[in-house]
Parts: sequence; structure tokens; C-alpha cells
Amino acid sequence: MNALSYSRREWLARAGGGFGMLALSSMLEAASNPFAPKVPMQVGGKAKSIIWIFANGGPSHVDTWDYKPELKKQDGKALDGFDPKTGFFPGSVGPLMASPFEFKQHGQSGTWCSDLFPRTAMHVDKMCFIHSCWTGSNNHSPALFKMNTGETRMGYPCVGSWVNYGLGSESDSLPSFVVMSDPLNRGLPKGSAANWGAGFLPSIYQGTWLKPKGAPIDNLAVPASLTPQRQRAQLDLLAKLNRSALAESPIESELNARIESFELAYRMQTAAPEAFDVKGEPEHIQKLYGLNEKHCGHFAAQCLTARRMVERGVRFIQIYSGGMENQQSWDGHNDIAGNHRGFANESDQPVAALIADLEQRGLLDQTLIIWGGEFGRLPISQKSAKPGRDHNPHAFTVWMCGGGVKGGYHHGESDEIGLKAAIDKVSVHDLHATILAAAGLDHERLTFKFQGLDQRLTGVENPKVVKQVFA
Amino acid sequence: MMSVMRFLFFILSSSAFALPADHAQRLERGLKSFQQDVAGILKENCLRCHGGERVKSDFDMATREDLLRGGSHGSVVVPFDAKGSALVQQINHAKEPHMPDDKPKLSAEVIAKITAWIDDGAPYAEPLVAGKKPKRDASVVTDADRQWWSFQPLKKINAKSIDELLLKNAKGMSFNPPADNATLVRRLYLDLTGLPPDSSDQTDLSALTDRLLSSPRYGERWARHWLDVARFAESTGFEQDHDRPFAFHYRDFVIKALNSDMPYDQFVKWQLAGDEYEPQNPLALAATGFLGAGVFPSQITANEVERTRYDAMDDMLSTTSSAMLGLTVGCARCHDHKFDPLPTRDYYAMLSTFTTTTRMNVDVLPDGKVTAAKTTVNAKTNTPVVPGATRMMICGEGYDPIVMHTQGGPFFDKTYVLKRGSPDMKDGEATQSFLQVLSKPGDAKRWQWQPPKDAKTSGRRRSLSNWITDVDQGAGALLARVIVNRLWQHHFGRGLVPTVNDFGKTGTASSQPELLDWLAGQLIANGWKLKPIHKLILSSQAWQQSSQRDAKKEAVDPDNGLFMRFVPQRLEAEAIRDSMLAISGLLDETMFGPGTRDENSKRRSIYFNIKRSQLIGSMVAFDVPEPLVSQGSRPTTTVAPQALILMNSPQARQWAEGLAKRIQPAGDAPKQIAMAYRICFNRDPKPDELATGAEYLKSGASLADYCQVVLGLNELIYVN
Repeated sequence: MNALSYSRREWLARAGGGFGMLALSSMLEAASNPFAPKVPMQVGGKAKSIIWIFANGGPSHVDTWDYKPELKKQDGKALDGFDPKTGFFPGSVGPLMASPFEFKQHGQSGTWCSDLFPRTAMHVDKMCFIHSCWTGSNNHSPALFKMNTGETRMGYPCVGSWVNYGLGSESDSLPSFVVMSDPLNRGLPKGSAANWGAGFLPSIYQGTWLKPKGAPIDNLAVPASLTPQRQRAQLDLLAKLNRSALAESPIESELNARIESFELAYRMQTAAPEAFDVKGEPEHIQKLYGLNEKHCGHFAAQCLTARRMVERGVRFIQIYSGGMENQQSWDGHNDIAGNHRGFANESDQPVAALIADLEQRGLLDQTLIIWGGEFGRLPISQKSAKPGRDHNPHAFTVWMCGGGVKGGYHHGESDEIGLKAAIDKVSVHDLHATILAAAGLDHERLTFKFQGLDQRLTGVENPKVVKQVFA
Repeated sequence: MMSVMRFLFFILSSSAFALPADHAQRLERGLKSFQQDVAGILKENCLRCHGGERVKSDFDMATREDLLRGGSHGSVVVPFDAKGSALVQQINHAKEPHMPDDKPKLSAEVIAKITAWIDDGAPYAEPLVAGKKPKRDASVVTDADRQWWSFQPLKKINAKSIDELLLKNAKGMSFNPPADNATLVRRLYLDLTGLPPDSSDQTDLSALTDRLLSSPRYGERWARHWLDVARFAESTGFEQDHDRPFAFHYRDFVIKALNSDMPYDQFVKWQLAGDEYEPQNPLALAATGFLGAGVFPSQITANEVERTRYDAMDDMLSTTSSAMLGLTVGCARCHDHKFDPLPTRDYYAMLSTFTTTTRMNVDVLPDGKVTAAKTTVNAKTNTPVVPGATRMMICGEGYDPIVMHTQGGPFFDKTYVLKRGSPDMKDGEATQSFLQVLSKPGDAKRWQWQPPKDAKTSGRRRSLSNWITDVDQGAGALLARVIVNRLWQHHFGRGLVPTVNDFGKTGTASSQPELLDWLAGQLIANGWKLKPIHKLILSSQAWQQSSQRDAKKEAVDPDNGLFMRFVPQRLEAEAIRDSMLAISGLLDETMFGPGTRDENSKRRSIYFNIKRSQLIGSMVAFDVPEPLVSQGSRPTTTVAPQALILMNSPQARQWAEGLAKRIQPAGDAPKQIAMAYRICFNRDPKPDELATGAEYLKSGASLADYCQVVLGLNELIYVN
């Protein structure tokens, strides 16, 4: 800590981006954000909040958003020269396989979508697709770490932590970076908390995992052995005694921050449960998301919570679609048709509703929605009971919506069968640089000194902001 | 690939580069072209990103030497060979990334001029940036590199005390007056044991220091500092985050070593090679848990096996060098270190120390004999076959490696030098040697240890430990500096060198270089024993001065690098919780053995089991770092979840009730309040504190409610 000056220390104490920082309005002005670009961003910079829908397990691009008519033509043919180590199961390599789903064009942009997402497809003219993403690992946890932190190794700060470190919080009573995982007992994404960890950044910047069962946040409720009135009396006494000891302390501001932190905690006790109360939404909204539908109600609740959090100034919200791996998530090794149909069914209506709802509230332009997984899937089949598809680190599609991105725009291409990114390739670091740009952060200036280096999210290989995605 | 090879060849031996027969004429022609056109073209189109305002991809065109050295992607320009130059392909848009970046393609005429100039040898008449000198060649370590202060031998400092040396640099200031006895007693207890005083009758500070240094609580407190540095945890991390149920022996080793005042050089040697020093001594074996405490994936695909192995060895080397030497050697994995004289070749030479080192389980039998771990009776409880035996995870050689779900073997027989850190770009086998910059010139064999014929190990780790502790020829001087700096840091809240894990050029230099060397010298003179150094520090006027505020001193020395006042410190997460347990009378002092993740446990926090995916909530809230890489210092944040723990957690209520039970018998409210203050703060309450408290209790609040408030006071978690 002493490597940081006292002013920096104060910034941490007051404007820390993680759970329950003490937001002071003056700290939120761009002028006081040390990482805001010196010159205004040429592109991007509109997103105040980010909602990242992480389709966990690696959704197949060629069965969702990246239409490959060539696959139909070559269906059943062996893929010459294919490296069997590309996927996870070198021993189960099958022939090229056409998508089991129907593709149609949607919107004025004429965007090709498979029939997995009929409702989301209605919004294609607001969505921006990057078809040329590629990553550095063919294995879930390293690829998850890569997508979340920029490194395949464990222990680096994730995108949400960096964004909060850069922007601070706008909420004075809620955690500013939250993560929601599968509530249907299908597990956590591989590597679990390391995917939303702060790495070498101070731990206040880590994501707050909302427990899918029971109270979502620890220690929020006044214990049974107390009453709210008695607790209020306690806090009044505490403040009085603490204040009288403040004078002349060489660390007065730090002690003051601690006095304030008790008041903030007190406010959170009511603010957080209120933010989670999706059942209090009007009926037409509940219907829009499908809150009471059996097939998608759980995901609807998470998307609706995300919108409520955005309204309350939460910066970064990540929702994992699917649990751990195999049939628990989008990891369709076996029966790609059934697997993807199931997870699309769970999420299509809530995701479409989230876009529509943010738009009708005038929040879409300042909220970036990201949809994608940790890698794509192979155009060849994986031999199993019903044909599946194995991992493909070389090509996949990520889409974004809102936050100032260009609607109906398609960036980059994979090759004609979708095996590898081919045109205007976008690395994970490029993608991260672009996400930061969307939030008005310059990835080259957003640094943190650690192990003697100015570390940054986007590494040393000179990644580029994909400027074309911004309107 | 080809161009990378050629590039390396060129640097290593430029004389081997075949010059064309007409090179003299060509260079002359090229020079003219440079002066007439090319210099201007390069300045206009390339220099801003490559040597002017910045140096992207580590490629700097300002001087010819740097141009020919290339960048992070390898060679860019090959003199006399435009066709083979990446630059020419890039400006022709035949190779990505196209250049110039974000600008239209250069005209055919301009491209032709650059191409001809390269074919003419790419000569410069002068640097493109006036006066710029080529960068040093980072792959060679020179005597100039050894001049950096932390690589120097220890200076002989003639001094009698810490205070004398601090006052020499004090810019005319003097120490604050000593803190009062009650404050000092509390400071001493919390500093050495992480617990508040258990009785207030202490007048002889020197005797109290000795008593606390010999208390078992001392090891439990100070071991925690080292465990941060050792990125200690008891699970694998990654996808499954499997438990390592026998990893706690390492934590116990650290506590035992500190309590017995094991000489620090031995402490280091055992952690690197305990199995090579005393293969039958369980404590020496447990020490090697240091190497094995890092993360490791539990599911490895065929094409990840090799990279994963290099990652695992990197974890051992990076942690060793950060923890013991304060050097960021890991940076040299992909390229010569940018700031410190740590070439990539040194990195791989060091890395090969760990070629055959893996995590292993052994059983310590009831008679003390160590054997390979036998199959377990019960896979769930992992109970060893032999009753009374203890299973222990160690990290070394000679027993069966612990194998994860992998499509490859546990290690490779050889370690190679890798270009850009990639196992696909091997550049010859690496053989063990040590950092050149910390080795006196001479035969590296002097540190080499030849294991006896029947030994199960390679001897490489013991060789490393010989070098790292060698004060005269090897890294021992730096080793001593780094550890005395860590002791200082935990006594004062900041190190003499504030960047405790970085003594290299990117670190912050010592504000007190003489004091650091003097303390390091004292350590070695005292047989590397740490307790005498603690005693020296704790007896100093510097440590015993008050934290009284002084605006003048704050203006002259805002960061207190001159140590002319004491700055209050917030306790760490463990000391906060342990203090609460002690104050409430609930503390269970049971030492050692398997830990728990139950927050209701009453044992000291160092006995929490550390599972990477399930860190203890109350610890993380108070800034316990993620145990992934070596962490030298923790941040201090003040956030609402800390308050929520004290307001609403079941533990906080238990602590409050425990304290209430202790003070209940004291008598009336003022007496109870007075007792609470003595227990918590080692002082009597001030009149207004007494009055406010009594008034609150009179209003009908319970004694437990009151005690919970006292536990929330700032004074409880700050050391004055």
C-alpha cells in the first residue's frame, strides 16, 4: 500500500470500485478519474454500465450467428489436414457437419441467424457482430480466464475489475460489480471465482458473486438477536465515540472513511434487497422477460436484476448462461442440437426483453450488452451418441448491443467453413481494448503498477480497439 | 520462424552475416538515399510509434542498431535483403499488421525507395531522433549492470544503532517523544503476536519483548506474513480447485521455524531443497511445500501439457525470486528483462533447476521414517494405511508425482530455452546456472552439489540454495537485504525499500541504504537469526516514538521514509479476527494440523484452510490477497462489507456476547465499561467515553449491544 501515495490511498478508500465503495459525487467527474483519456475518445465512450452475458461452455458460432452455407454442401466429408489436437477430444474427430438449425435473414441488415433465437433476432439491427474472434486455449478454464482476464493463467484481474478500477462506482449503496451464475444447480463456470477476481488489483475491485440460493449477499440482514432500532442506536453510539477520538489523529481521513463505511453498510441493508426485488416489477415487464415461464424464468430474473442494477448505477454485471461443462452448459460435445436448443430456449426471451426494456427506458445507449463464450466450436462433428461439436479456439462470434455500437454491423469473417478466423481477426486483447473503449477507458493508460511493471488488461502485444464497431 | 532465427543469429554474431561483395558501394548509395528521401519518409510515416513518441511492439527505428535488432515480433529489417524484411512485406500489405498503421498505404514510389534503401544495407547518416543512442543489449550482463545498489556486496557500515543511522538522514528533524507505556505495550503485543495484551501490568519493555518473542503466538503472527510472500494455499486452483489435504504441513513448518528462530539461510535452503539436505527429516521435507504451493490445472489437453509444465516451473522460479531476492525474474520468460540485467538465458538456466521437481505425497511413519505414500484406505478421508502415520505433501524429486487429469506426463526430462516463452520455439537445452548479475565471475561449479550415489534427487535445488545463500560470491547479500526489509516493513508499516518485492530498477530505492546494509550485516553476524533483529528494531527510539501528529514533519516527509514519527497501522484481517476472539475470551489456542473453512472456528486465523475458490469471506473483506503469486504487501481498504461483518455476522455477535460475559461481574455500568476499555485498548476510558457509554446502557441497551459497539471502534483495529 505504501507504494501508493496517501492521495491514492484515499481514492481507494472512497472511490473504490468494488462492493460498496463510498461514492462521493465529486469523485465521479471525469476530471477526477485518473484513467480517463486525456483527449476525448475518438470512438466509443458512451457506456456507463456493461452487462456481459457469458454463454458458458463455448457456444457454436456456426450454429448461431455465423452462417456457413458451405457446411451444408460439404456435410459428411472428412476435413483434410485437420489437426486432431485442435479440440479437446483428439480421438473423436468426425466429418464436416451442417448445422442442424435453419438459418434465415432478419432485419434491414439482412443478418443471418439460426432459428435458435427467434426473439433476439428481432433486434439484429441494434446488434453488432464480431465474427473473427479467436483465443489462446482449447480448454475451458484457461479459455475462460483468457476471456475474463486476458491471460490463460489464473490470477489476473478481470475486465469488470479493471473497469471499476478505472471508473469507480456510481452507486452509494450497491456493489458496483456483480456476477450471477446458474441458479439451477448446474455448477459454476470452470475456475469459478478466479473469473471475477481482482488479481493483483486491490480486492475491493473484485466481482461480488450473488449467491443463486438464499440471501445473495452475506451479512446483509440484521441478526435475529438485534432489532433495526437497537442497531441504529448502536451505530449512533459508535459514530459518537469514533468521532470524539478523531481529532489530532495523523490518519484522520482514513478513520473518517471508516465511520462513513458503517453508514453506507446501514443503507445497503435496505438498498440491496430492494434492487433484487424483481417480483415487484409490473406484470407487463415480468411477462416481457418471461419471469414466470418455467423454461426461462430463472434467466429472466437475472436479466431483470441486471436492468434494475443498471438503473441504480451498478457498473458491471456478468451473467453466466449455463453451469459448468458438458450438458450443464453450452458445451455441446454430445448432441449439439439438443444442447444448444435447450440453452437458447432458456435465454432467448430474457435477452430480447433486456434489449427492448433498456431501449424503452432510454438506457440502451449508455449500457453495453456483450454476448459470447470462451471459444467457438468446430465445423466437424464430434463422434458421440448424438453428434456434437468439440472446442474451437480459432474462431467464434461475439455480439454487442447498445453502449454506442453500430447496429446491424458485421465485423470480420471466419473462413468458409468457420474453422478459423480469416478476415480482420480480433484477438481477446483486441476485444478487451474495445470493451474498455466503449466505457471511455484507454487500454494503454489503464495501468496498475505490480511486480515492477505498469500492468494492463491488454498485455504487451499492441492490441487494437476495433473502431469500426462504434457508431 | 525463419526471420526470427536469422534475427537472433545476427545479434549473436554479426560477423557471421554474409555481406555482399559490393557492400561498400551499396552502403554509399543507401546513405545518399537516406539523406535525400528515406530519413524524411521514415520520420513522417513510422517514427511516431517506433522511437519518436513511443516504441510500439518494442520496435525502435531511431538508430540503425535498434532498427536491425527488431521488435517483439522478431526481425523487421534485414540489411541488403529487402525481400526477406518483414517491413517491406508489411508496407506492401503482404503481411499483417499492415504498415503504417491506421494510415493509407504508402505510394508505390515511396515503397520503392524504402525497398532500394534496405537492399543497400539500410545505412543511417544520423539517428532519426537527434542524439538518441541505441539501447543496450539486454542479453549481455556487464560490470555496469552490477553497479545497481541491490546487486552490490553489503557495505561495511560503522554504526552502533538504528537510531544513529536514521538521525544522520533526518533532514534536521528528531524523533517524536516516546509513546506512553500503555500504548507501547499494546503496540508490542499486536506487532509480535497479533493479539492484544492479556494483562496490563508490564513495565519492563525489554523483558516483555523477550517474553513475546519466545511466545508460540509470535510464530503464528509472523508466519502469516511469509505465507503471503509464498502465495500459500491448500488447493490446486483452476477448474476443479481440488483440495491439497496434506499441504498444511508447510504452514506448520513456517510457524515452527520462526518460533525456534531457525537461521534464515537454513529456512531458505530447506524450502528450496529440504529433501536434498535431510531426506529423512519430516520438517525439512515439509519446508519444500514452498515450491509446491502454486496453482496447477487439473485438466490438461494434449497441446497444453508442455506449456503447463513451463507455467508450473515458472511459478516455482518466480515465487523464489520475488520472495527471496525481491527480483521479478518471471519477466525474463519471454524476453530479456526490460529494466533489470536479467537475460532470458539466465531465466531458463535458473528454470532448469526445477526440471524434475514435482509435488509428491509421502508418509511419515510412527517411527519417524519417511516412505512413499501408500494407497489410501479411504479415498474420502485419505487416511494412510499405517495407523499413526502422517501424510505430507512435499515438492521435490524421487517419489511418485501427484498426477492430475492430463493427456501427458508430469514433467519433461529436459528444459529448453524458449523464444518468446513458446514451447514451439525451442532454442537449445538449458543447463543450470544462476543469475550472472549476482554471481562473482568464476566457475559456476562452486555451488554445485553432487548428490550421493543412492540419492533420489538431482542436486540441482541444493545447488541453487548454495548460490542464493552465498554472501560473498552469490546472491546472499541481496537475500539478507530483502528479509531485513520485510521485518522492518511489518514493524513500521513500510519497508526501508517500499517496494518490498522489487529491489530492481523499477522498484523504489531505499530511503536508508546504510541502515539496510547495516541491518543485513547484523543479520549475518548473528548467524542469520531473526529474533535478534526484531529485538534491535523494537528497542530503537524509532520504533518506540509516538504517533503524535506534527505538521512540519508531514510537510518535509509526507511518506515517512525518514521514520521521524510512528504512523498508526490498521491491523491485518487475521489480527483483527484473532483480537476479537481473544477479547471475547473465546480464542482456542490449539496449534498446527489441518485447518478449517468454518468461520465459527475459534482457532487463530492462520489455521483457516485456504481453498482458492472459497476464500474466507471475512478475511477477503479485510484485504487478504488472492494467493496466486507472491504478495509482498497488502492494500488497506475501508469498505462497507467490513462494517457489515461487525454489524450483522453471527461471529460478531458471539464476540460481543463473549466480552459481555467477561465484564458482567465487574460491578455497575461504569466499572463494566472501564473493564471493557482495559481489555480492548489497554487503557482506562476517558470521562466522556465513560459517560456516553453509561448513558447508552441506561437507555436499556444490553451489555452485549454495548460490547458490539466497542468492538467496532476504530481504536480496536488500529495500532497507535
